[in-house]
Amino acid sequence: MPPAVVVTGIGAVTALGEGVGALAAGLAAGRCAIGPLTLFPYAGHAAIAAEVRASMSSPSGPLPRATVRRLSRPDRFALVAAAEACGAAGLGPDLGRDAAVYVGITTGGMLETEEAYRRRRAGEDDRFRLSRLLGTPLATAGAVVSQALGLYGRRETFSTACSSSALAVAMAADAVRRGVVPIALAVGTDGLCRLTYAGFDALQALDPEPCRPFDRDRRGLSLGEGAAALVLETAAHARARGARPQAAVLGWAATSDAHHVTAPHPEGAGALAALGAALADARVGPDAVDYVNAHGSGTRQNDAVEVGVLRRVFGRRLGHLPVSSAKSQLGHCLGAAGAVEAVVTVLALREGLLPPTLNLQHPDPAWDDLDLVPAAGRRASLGVAVSSSYGFGGHNVSLVLGREAR
Amino acid sequence: MDRERLRGEVKELLVSGLRLDVRPADIVDGAPIFGDGLGLDSIDALELVVLVEERFRLSIPDEEVGKRAFASVDALVEFILQERGE
Repeated sequence: MPPAVVVTGIGAVTALGEGVGALAAGLAAGRCAIGPLTLFPYAGHAAIAAEVRASMSSPSGPLPRATVRRLSRPDRFALVAAAEACGAAGLGPDLGRDAAVYVGITTGGMLETEEAYRRRRAGEDDRFRLSRLLGTPLATAGAVVSQALGLYGRRETFSTACSSSALAVAMAADAVRRGVVPIALAVGTDGLCRLTYAGFDALQALDPEPCRPFDRDRRGLSLGEGAAALVLETAAHARARGARPQAAVLGWAATSDAHHVTAPHPEGAGALAALGAALADARVGPDAVDYVNAHGSGTRQNDAVEVGVLRRVFGRRLGHLPVSSAKSQLGHCLGAAGAVEAVVTVLALREGLLPPTLNLQHPDPAWDDLDLVPAAGRRASLGVAVSSSYGFGGHNVSLVLGREAR
Repeated sequence: MDRERLRGEVKELLVSGLRLDVRPADIVDGAPIFGDGLGLDSIDALELVVLVEERFRLSIPDEEVGKRAFASVDALVEFILQERGE
């Protein structure tokens, strides 16, 4: 048996607030954080988003003041979430010597980059300012986190569209299980920007109303932003240092559709393979799964393909298996989505509370047998849950999480 | 140009140009710009050269000149006046 991988710390910055506590409270209350888009003027089909409005009291640690001052929003989100996770796990300077950092991110400091261009074009700056372009490379999030928290191990940045940070969690768990690193921090972060907004709008993938995953009238996704972080180590490593596991990462898998630049494979071949392989990796049969944290983006195609995959994996049991989409509360956090939803799933397992699928007024009749958790606050004893994230270009990642290591 | 007004303009440029979290009036006239006080770093130094060159239409050709010009707000005011031949 390979060693069990456990989660000893979690952190989050989402539109529901700063910190895991705010996220847990918002999930329990079923609060939808999707509201007016205020970060930049936008005249397209939809002008709503799940924006992070928290004050972001940045824990700079040994980070120089000048660096903190110039951080892009997603780098700041990442730092706050990572500091919370490391704090909860007790990942301090002694463990930091060998701690690895795995980051999932897609647009990073693009909003700040856009602002640099805007100022240059408007004649507000005669030349580009270095300080406004420092957050442009996606690698800065990991650099900031490792510098601020003193994490000296390997550092990897993944950018596979909306599966980026699910992949970061999977690769961190993989490195821990194989004994490549003793402890790893997985982080997902992204911030809203014009580029993302315009791109999804051009695809006609944005719902003008807050997104309605699995609803008959769903018209697309709502964009979100934020960050989440998880500290992973083997159960033995956690036990030896007296760290309390909050959940376990039982298995994972990633596949490619190799099919289309934006559309999912019509039968979800890659998504099906990823979920099947993740369950096999976890040595868990479909019957042992108690909750599905769906990708549930709210686009017509995604939800249909995803339900098809779930039907094939879970069969008749699907009617008794809660399936919900956190995107109905937090929007689609893109590069951060996988890590945010992994943390949401850890909370569901830990608290025994099912995150709801909000805005579900008319469940699609094709799946009226499904338990889509339309109301918040429902308690359930959960042992095993899966969380899947699907990225443009057909990249599929499934994570199998457990309340306890097996 | 009036020294006092120029001093105010320089402080305003520091705060808005480098997006500092202090009020212009709180910047000490004679204190080193790159001391511990304002928490500036080498990237701010690069930025400040551009900001000053653009605003005051002058040139800071090398580090030698930069060090002298950015010794303090007072030194920068003197440097600007001297470059303008005032």
